[in-house]
Amino acid sequence: MSPTDTTLDLEAVAANVLSLARELGADEVSAGVSSSSYSEITRRDGRIEQAKESRSLAASVQLLVDDRFSTHSTSDLRTEALRAFLERAVAATRHLEPDPDRRLPDREELGLTDVDLDLEDTTWTDGDPGPRRRRAEAVEQTVKARMADDPVRSITAYAWDGRSERAVAFSNGFSFSNARTSFGMAATVSLEEPDGRLPEAWGSCSMLHESDLWTVDQLTDDLRTRALAQLGSRPAPSGRYPMLLDRRVVSRVLGVLLAPLAGASIYEQRSCLADHLGKKVASPSFSMFDDPLVTRGVGSRNTDGDGRPTRRRPIVEDGVLQTFFIDVYNGRRLKRPPTTGSASNIVVPPGDRSVSELASALPKAILVDGFLGGNSNPTTGDFSFGIRGALLENGERVAAVSEMNVSGNILSLMERYTTAASDPWLLGSWRSPTLLFDDVQFSGS
Amino acid sequence: MSLARPDGAPGAHFADLGVSAGVLQRVMNAALSRGGDDCDLFFQHTQSTSVALSDRKVNQVGTHVDLGMGVRVVVGDQVGYAYSEDLRPEALIAAARAAAEIAQTTPGRTAAVPSARPVTDRTPVQRPWTDVGIDERVAMVRAWEQGAFSRDKRVQRVEAYLQDAASIVMVVRPDGRLYEDYRPMTLGMLRCTAGQGEVRDSSGHNVAARAGLEFYDPGRQEHLIQEAVDRTLFLLDAGKPPAGDMPVVLAAGPSAILLHEAIGHGMEADFNRKRTSIYADKMGAKIANEHVTIVDDGTIPNSRGAVNVDDEGNPGQCTTLVENGVLRSYMHDEISARHYGVSPTGSGRRQSFRHAPLPRMRATMMRSGPHSPEEIIKSVDRGLYCVSFQNGQVNIGAGDFSFYMRQGYLIENGRLTRPVKDVNIIGNGPEALARIDLVGNDMKLDEGGWTCGKEGQSVAVSQGMPTVRVSSLTVGGVG
Repeated sequence: MSPTDTTLDLEAVAANVLSLARELGADEVSAGVSSSSYSEITRRDGRIEQAKESRSLAASVQLLVDDRFSTHSTSDLRTEALRAFLERAVAATRHLEPDPDRRLPDREELGLTDVDLDLEDTTWTDGDPGPRRRRAEAVEQTVKARMADDPVRSITAYAWDGRSERAVAFSNGFSFSNARTSFGMAATVSLEEPDGRLPEAWGSCSMLHESDLWTVDQLTDDLRTRALAQLGSRPAPSGRYPMLLDRRVVSRVLGVLLAPLAGASIYEQRSCLADHLGKKVASPSFSMFDDPLVTRGVGSRNTDGDGRPTRRRPIVEDGVLQTFFIDVYNGRRLKRPPTTGSASNIVVPPGDRSVSELASALPKAILVDGFLGGNSNPTTGDFSFGIRGALLENGERVAAVSEMNVSGNILSLMERYTTAASDPWLLGSWRSPTLLFDDVQFSGS
Repeated sequence: MSLARPDGAPGAHFADLGVSAGVLQRVMNAALSRGGDDCDLFFQHTQSTSVALSDRKVNQVGTHVDLGMGVRVVVGDQVGYAYSEDLRPEALIAAARAAAEIAQTTPGRTAAVPSARPVTDRTPVQRPWTDVGIDERVAMVRAWEQGAFSRDKRVQRVEAYLQDAASIVMVVRPDGRLYEDYRPMTLGMLRCTAGQGEVRDSSGHNVAARAGLEFYDPGRQEHLIQEAVDRTLFLLDAGKPPAGDMPVVLAAGPSAILLHEAIGHGMEADFNRKRTSIYADKMGAKIANEHVTIVDDGTIPNSRGAVNVDDEGNPGQCTTLVENGVLRSYMHDEISARHYGVSPTGSGRRQSFRHAPLPRMRATMMRSGPHSPEEIIKSVDRGLYCVSFQNGQVNIGAGDFSFYMRQGYLIENGRLTRPVKDVNIIGNGPEALARIDLVGNDMKLDEGGWTCGKEGQSVAVSQGMPTVRVSSLTVGGVG
């Protein structure tokens, strides 16, 4: 078996892995086989710096043996190696303590939502590096030309594309397969500051369909604006400011709200939101949805990690918590119906005012458009992140800021959520506009 | 389910999988078929096993097998890279041809017959994981759980995890060099949730090494349990420090995350070769206090960052980065070493055969200085003492870095007072390095399972540091 073999039938391979595991003593099995083909070009100083070709084929299994559960994966699919691997896997599982909640989902729970998500660009072909090379070259040359008068130290340009396919078979008879493609381009520019610092900016666009990509000019304009905005940055004074959270980086903050919603966190008592279902967790103006059914969406899927059909669900609606992320196993442990184990596309509905309209009403505010390190604690909801961005006064950028921290507790922060701007970001799995929060603690100079 | 140390001749493990010396030559000749200056083949066979305890049950086991070869073709500083998980000759040759596409001419050289070269073994194993049954692993994590519950009634939940892995890797070069290396690894982790009144919090501890079961001697297991419980209970009484700039004292050991983020990454030579590091053009310059000496050391026996031979075939070694405050060397892979006209420092590392090597850290450490930890704490009127950390990040060019403190104390009038937790600390690397003004005499290599991420590749690292004082850093507290 080889991933370069285009005639390889992944569903047949998955069925073969499944029957072998059954034959070797597993009571229930889910077997997945995935193959991918991915190519990437990196350019710097007017030529290719790295050309990378990836071709992968791997199998994974979940086994139930005498009420005991285990997970295994391998990239060694030689017939005799696969058999030995599964033999060892079944034997290892027998040494565990039984966990009756660990069963595969029942057959009737499994399925695919019947929606064409259009996740595969059928124009993708494996083999011709020409379009990818030309895209990388166009990105490098366009950034170089547009930034010819800027203090640029170095430009690196990237272009990539690929396709991945997966087939999964369950011992209860359910099986499915799906495929998705990916196309992208990106550039980093390193700028020179008079004091010797070399701030770097990154611009990237990655889509499932080639025709959905930005133009190279769009990518370049966006990158240049954000790169130059970083020059001369320094910490602003410590204090409490309104925070405008740029639409590209919303995930870092709202992720703090999502982590304690995970079924495992709730079961292990590592969640600050375990008793908040149906209760207020944000200002009444805040709503957020999990939408796996966005056409061509980066996080879209019509079956979840358990193999169950997906659907759109509110996470927070008008400030009230509507759901947890509970997979089948944690549902059984918590004695709650499962929802879905993880988020897909997170959607925050846009408001009707632009970022500049929102900013102009604020005598002073900090626009956060990048994070540097930091972490959060799902048990308490506390967070503390390094940030960069800009200090705004009445909507005007008065200084670029960096080397600052933003800290607080996610519940009190969400209570101070004010509104969403009208600029939803649609290029990733986080589909949110820029968000405004009042009275947020920043530490700086 | 682990791989045993090969007892045959170097190369025999992969020869048994069909990769004979003749195949190696054919693959390298395919890699050089379009005029590449050089190439390397990196074969890897890894097996790992993990057992996990949650909810008072050892109820999950996982095994993982990874097998494949990566081929890199180098033309000047241009790289073509491809890999194959299929070790049949035709698949390896197809990958080599894909990598060869970076070159545009005709073959300039052919591959010599590979012959094995010696590799120094810094990761001896006394109790190989191949001899350890799942039962024994299950009993061990169970004992950790029991230990944690018995330490303190406030411990409410415990999760435990034990992983062991072993890789056999083989690096082959067209000049005939062949290196085979055996790389064991283990990680033990214990996580607790504790409650007291309305307050609940979670934390834990982990220990890691390139070793066998002998690593978990009774003292180590006891220590793992005690640290996991202590670190969790600490949080129940901890508050938040004030926000803003203040002197920060970093405790010996895990505080080396400051070295790793603020200084280490900027001294990886690829960023300097591309002139995107803030340390580019600083070789030979005084960048720190005279008491500051920093090394990156691949030679510490059984450490997580130990490197017998790097992933390009260069011996592991100890590289002095900063000597008495003066920048002495970057960390080099072969491409950057050629650019700078120096020898590689054995720092060419990769996550797996799916990735090309890059200059990476191994065990990054600051040597002990002249000051006692007590006098360093006593020297601060009002500041922060940091005990343990979770993660960090750096912008290589701008130099700003941050690290997240899990556990610390306020320093008031030269004494440790209130416990504090969960704050991010941010600064500028070169400034922070220049602001290290007191260096303790208590250098400690941290035992934790640190993993470093760079350009999408994770590698295991170690880090160590004595107690130091940084005269000012920005603390993300309250008020």
